[in-house]
Amino acid sequence: MAGDAGSIPELDQKKYDSDEQVKIICLGDSAVGKSKLMERFLMDEYRPQQLSTYALTLYKHTAAVGNKTVAIDFWDTAGQERFQSMHPSYYHKAHACIMVFDVQRKITYKNLANWYKELREYRPEIPCCVVANKIDADLKVTQRSFNFGKKQGIPFYFVSAADGTNVVKMFREMITRAVDYKQNPSDFMDEVLQELENFDLEKKEEDSEADEVGLKAEGPESE
Amino acid sequence: MSFEAKRCGVQFSPPSIVLIYQHKETKHMRKRIIPVRNFSKYSDYSMAAESLKNHPRHRDYLEGVSQSQLEKLHIILRDHMQGFSLEHSLASFRLDPDEDLNQLDDDKLARKKGQMDELFEKNRKHKDDPDFVYDLEMDFTKTTQERCSWDEESDDGF
Repeated sequence: MAGDAGSIPELDQKKYDSDEQVKIICLGDSAVGKSKLMERFLMDEYRPQQLSTYALTLYKHTAAVGNKTVAIDFWDTAGQERFQSMHPSYYHKAHACIMVFDVQRKITYKNLANWYKELREYRPEIPCCVVANKIDADLKVTQRSFNFGKKQGIPFYFVSAADGTNVVKMFREMITRAVDYKQNPSDFMDEVLQELENFDLEKKEEDSEADEVGLKAEGPESE
Repeated sequence: MSFEAKRCGVQFSPPSIVLIYQHKETKHMRKRIIPVRNFSKYSDYSMAAESLKNHPRHRDYLEGVSQSQLEKLHIILRDHMQGFSLEHSLASFRLDPDEDLNQLDDDKLARKKGQMDELFEKNRKHKDDPDFVYDLEMDFTKTTQERCSWDEESDDGF
């Protein structure tokens, strides 16, 4: 059943199994500034790929993490948030999640609880963060403490897509966490999926030793 | 850019965008009336705004006017063509911080986003601004933090 979740014909989500391919998803209400944050981080690299049939926008980015280059696909909603829920394929194989709210609209903060609940149904363990956007509108909000992140034990960032405050820092930290997670996946579903895939391809015995891969990654060189 | 856009608005008859701008060298204030052609009550305001922004005769003057602001002006013109009052158009842009924008259709959401974009553009730091820093970091953890009232009345995981 979980296998069906990844079926977007134009998108082969199998590529996210390879070591150099990372998938990071964005969640949050309409008009909180998700695309504006992407635009600010990617600057000249900003080339959104619209998949309007799926109400989905993809942004590609490459980054050097440690001593290797990784290709990151950022998944952004294109109005899909209107259904208060995302298609399961949106969460499928994601390695990290960026949750955004607008500091000027309380409802977008309150809705984080719903987004977070849905995220954890599909991806119980992936790294996640809470981003308070639009602090340029009123810097005083940064003196307040928003407890949602603390309560869930996930990092919190005050950012502004307009003036750029903490945008790059947030994205870089999330990319690093996504890559770390990929090297040491702790999601039960990941392991189940991997087992199922290995079951299909009896030949690939080396890959089934998930623990060993995890240990290797901690070594000095992981070529 | 030798022109600085100061204010912009619309004129219903004939349908036009009105721009007040300053000539940067001479410091003279000028008014430019840009007729909006081939635009009907069925037209796509976003495409119309985009083609105006890239229009060879007008683009230098409109450089400081954001796409969303031009969209907004086109929405006002189109609303007028559809028989709606100016008050109706302006009310549709107004932001209510308690409104759930997830419930709006594309057109209504575009109106709200256009309004929000005004503040965004005002506070925006551009790549060619002299004080632009790509990786701008600010530490807010040291500022004394008061409890946020948004966390009160918690029953849903807050």
